[in-house]
Amino acid sequence: MLEARGLSKFYGSVLAVQDISFCLRPGQVMGYLGPNGSGKSTTVKMLTGLLEPSSGQVVHEGKDIHNNLAAYRKRLGYVPEEANLYPNLTGEEYLDMVATLRAMSEPRKKKTIRSLLQLFSLWPHRHITMGAYSKGMRQRILLIGALMDNPDVLILDEPLSGLDVTSALIIKNLIQALSARGKAIFYCSHILEVVEKVCSHLIILRKGQVIAHGATTEVREQIGKSSLEGIFLQLVEERDVAQVADEIVEVVVSS
Amino acid sequence: MIGHVKQFLRMRWEAFTQTPFGCLLRLFVVRMFHGGAEAGAEELDIGVGATIVLLAMPGLLVSLLMFEKYGSLIRFLRGDGVFDPFTATIPDEYFFIVLSMVVTGAAALWRWDRIFLDRRDYMNLVPLPISIRSLFFANLCAILVLAGVFTLVVNAAPLILFPAAVVGSQGSFSLFLRFATGHTVAVFLASTFSCFAVFALAGLLMALLPAAVFRRLSLFARFLVAIWLLAVLGSSFAVPQLLTEISVVNAHRVAVLPPVSFLGLSRTVWGRGSETFVASMTVGAVVALGLAFLTALLTYVVSFRRSFIRIPETPDAGPLPRVSVSLSPLARLQKGIIHTPSQRACYKFVARTLLRSESHLQVVLGFLALGLVAAANTLASAPNPQAIVAGRTPSLEFLSVPLILSYCMVIGIRFAFEIPADLRANWIFRFWLDRDRHEARAIARRVLLMFSLSWLAPACFLLTLPFWGWAIALLHTTILTLCTVVLVEILLVRFRKIPFTCSYPAFKSHSGIMVVAYMFGFVLFSDYLAQMERWSLSDVWRAISFVPLFLIVVGALHFYRKQMLDMDKELIFEEVSVSGF
Repeated sequence: MLEARGLSKFYGSVLAVQDISFCLRPGQVMGYLGPNGSGKSTTVKMLTGLLEPSSGQVVHEGKDIHNNLAAYRKRLGYVPEEANLYPNLTGEEYLDMVATLRAMSEPRKKKTIRSLLQLFSLWPHRHITMGAYSKGMRQRILLIGALMDNPDVLILDEPLSGLDVTSALIIKNLIQALSARGKAIFYCSHILEVVEKVCSHLIILRKGQVIAHGATTEVREQIGKSSLEGIFLQLVEERDVAQVADEIVEVVVSS
Repeated sequence: MIGHVKQFLRMRWEAFTQTPFGCLLRLFVVRMFHGGAEAGAEELDIGVGATIVLLAMPGLLVSLLMFEKYGSLIRFLRGDGVFDPFTATIPDEYFFIVLSMVVTGAAALWRWDRIFLDRRDYMNLVPLPISIRSLFFANLCAILVLAGVFTLVVNAAPLILFPAAVVGSQGSFSLFLRFATGHTVAVFLASTFSCFAVFALAGLLMALLPAAVFRRLSLFARFLVAIWLLAVLGSSFAVPQLLTEISVVNAHRVAVLPPVSFLGLSRTVWGRGSETFVASMTVGAVVALGLAFLTALLTYVVSFRRSFIRIPETPDAGPLPRVSVSLSPLARLQKGIIHTPSQRACYKFVARTLLRSESHLQVVLGFLALGLVAAANTLASAPNPQAIVAGRTPSLEFLSVPLILSYCMVIGIRFAFEIPADLRANWIFRFWLDRDRHEARAIARRVLLMFSLSWLAPACFLLTLPFWGWAIALLHTTILTLCTVVLVEILLVRFRKIPFTCSYPAFKSHSGIMVVAYMFGFVLFSDYLAQMERWSLSDVWRAISFVPLFLIVVGALHFYRKQMLDMDKELIFEEVSVSGF
C-alpha cells in the first residue's frame, strides 16, 4: 500500500502542492487530474522519491520511502511525463541498462526484454538507436522499462502520450489487467475519457490542493454530473470554454 | 558625430533584421555560433564571447612576445647593427600565417556540421511563406559572415601589434604601413583560405557521398584535417629555417605547404616579389584561395540541393549510426572488474555514448590527433632515425611515444566526460543510483583505463618486444600502465558524477589554472617520465624503484580522498561554478 501523508512542497517561497493525502491500495487505479500547473508532476516526483517533500511523507508498506529508497524503487515502476531517453543507445541496450540497474538476473532480464519487445512490436527495431525512434516507440520503451521487473506499484504520468490507437487500447486493457492482479496504479493524465474508463478512484487537484477525492462513482454522485468532463469543468475551470474559443476565433479572423 | 553614426547604424541594422531576409541571416549566424541545440542536448556550447576570446587569445599572446624580441634596446644589446625587418621577420611572419590558418581552420572544423541547414530548420522554416532561394542566400551570407568574423577575430591583435613591435621604433610611418599591409594581406587571405578549404571539404563530402556514408566518414575526415592542421602548426618551427638554407629549386618542395605560399604573398606586398620563388608562391597562394572559394561555393550549391531540399524524402538519421563493433569480446573482462549492477549498467552506458556520440568522439579524436602529432614530432626530433630502435635500452623518443598517447587519450576522455549527453534523459540515473555509494569514480576509472590501456599496453609491448626482448618490453609496458593508472587517479580525485549525465558551467573560475596544469602535466608525462624510465630500464632494480613511487602517489591520493567530507563525494547531476575568491 502506498500512502501520501500531508504532502506539501515549496519551491523557494512558492507553494506547489499543499497537504496532499491519499491511500493507494493494491488493485486500485487512482486517477490524478488537474489543469497545467496544479502540482501533478510535483506530486509524482515526490511519490517516486525524485523530490523530497517540504513537509509530510510518502509511506510504502508502513515505512517512509526515504528510509530505504532503493528497496522502494525496486518495487516501483515509473513512466515519466516525457520520453527522455538516451538517443545514442538502442532500445534493447536501454532496457538492458534499466534491468541491470534494477539488479535483475541475467536469464530473467534477457527473457523479459525479448518477450516485452515482441509484445510491444519493437522487436524489429531493437538494434536501432533511440534517436531515430518515433514518440510512440519511445513511450513503449518507457512502459517496458516500468513493467519489466514486475513492480507492485506503478506510477504512470501520461502513459498514452504519442501512442497509436492500437497501442493505446492495449495499454488501457493492460492497466485493468494489472489492477486485477493486485497492482496499485497511480495514473496521472489529461485525457479524461481514459481516466474515466480505467480508474477506480479519482483525485482532482486545483492550485496545489485536492478538491475532490474518492471512488469515481462517488465523485460523480457528489458533484451531480454524469461525465468526468462535466465534473472537471465544474470543479477546475473558472472560464467558460466555449466563450474562450469564440474569442480566439474573433482575434484570428480580425487580425 | 560618432554618436549619430552609431545611432544611424543601429537603426539600419534593426530595420534590416526586421525584414524576412535579415531575420533569417541573424538566425543562421546565431545558430552557427551557438549550435542551436535544444536545451540539454549534447553540444559544447561556450557562447559567442568566450569563442571570440579563445580565437583571439593565441594571436594576442604571440604578438606581445614580439615586443620583447624586436625591441630596439634588445636589438642594441644583441649587437644587431643593420636591421632589415622584411628578412629578419620571416620565421615570425610564417608563424603568424600558420597560426591564423590553424585557428581559423580549427574553428571552421568545429562548426563543420552547422554549416548546412538541417531537418529542424526545414521543419520550422519551409512551411513559412519564405522562398527556398531566400533560405539558400541567407545561409550563404551567414557562412561568409562566419568566415569573416573568424578571420577578423583571429588576426585582430597581430594586425596592429606585430608591425608595431617590429617597425614601431623605426620612426617611419610609410615603413610601418608597408609592413602592416603585407602582414595583413597574408594573414587575412591565409585565414580565408583555411576557412573555405574546410568548408569546401565538408561540402565536397556531402555532395559526393550518400547521407549515411557522409555521417560515418565526417568524423574521420575531421580527425584527419585536425592532424593536418596540427602538423602545419608543427612546421612553423622547422620550415622557416629550411627556407633560408635550401636552394630555390628545392624550395618548391616545401612550397606544397599552403603557409609557404602565403609567406610569398606577404613578401610580394613588401616589395620582394621579384625573386622567382616568391613570385611563383604568390601566384600559388592566389590560385589556391580562388580554388578553395569556388569549390566551397560550388559544393555548397550542390549539397544544398542534395541534402536540404530532399530532407522530407530521407528518414531522420538521429545520432551517429550504431558502432557495429560489439563490446561482448570484453564482456568477461568487464564482469571480472565491474562488480555491482549499477556500475555495470553505467559502464556500458558511458562506453556506448563515447563510441556513438559525435560531439564526444570529436573531442576524444581531437586529443588523440594532438597526441599523434606530438608523438610524430618527438620521433622526428631524434638526431638519427636508426638510433630510435638501437642501443641496449630504448631511446628517449621511443619511450615518450606511448606516454604521450596515453596522456592525450586519458585527458581527452576525461574532458569529454564533462560534456553532457541529453541531460533530460539523466532521470533514469537520478531514479536508480544511490547518491551516497560513491560509485562514480569507479565507473569513470574503468572507462578511462579500458579505452586507453586496452590498446596502448599491448601495442607498447608488441612494438618493444622485437627490438629489446621480453624483459624490457614487460618493464616498459608495466611502467606505462602504472603511470596511466596514477594519471587517472589524479584526474578523478574529486570526480563525483556519472560521465555525460551532469550539467556543467560554461566557465569555471579555475579553468585557466587547469589549462596550465594540463600543459605542465604533458611536459612531465612525456619528457620527465620518459627520462626516468630510460634511467630505470638500464637496471631491473632501478625499474623496481617505480613501485614504491607508485604506491606513495596512490596512497597520498587515497589519503586525500579519505579526508574529504562525505558531501564532497556525493553523486551530483548539476555542477555550479565555485568562485575562486
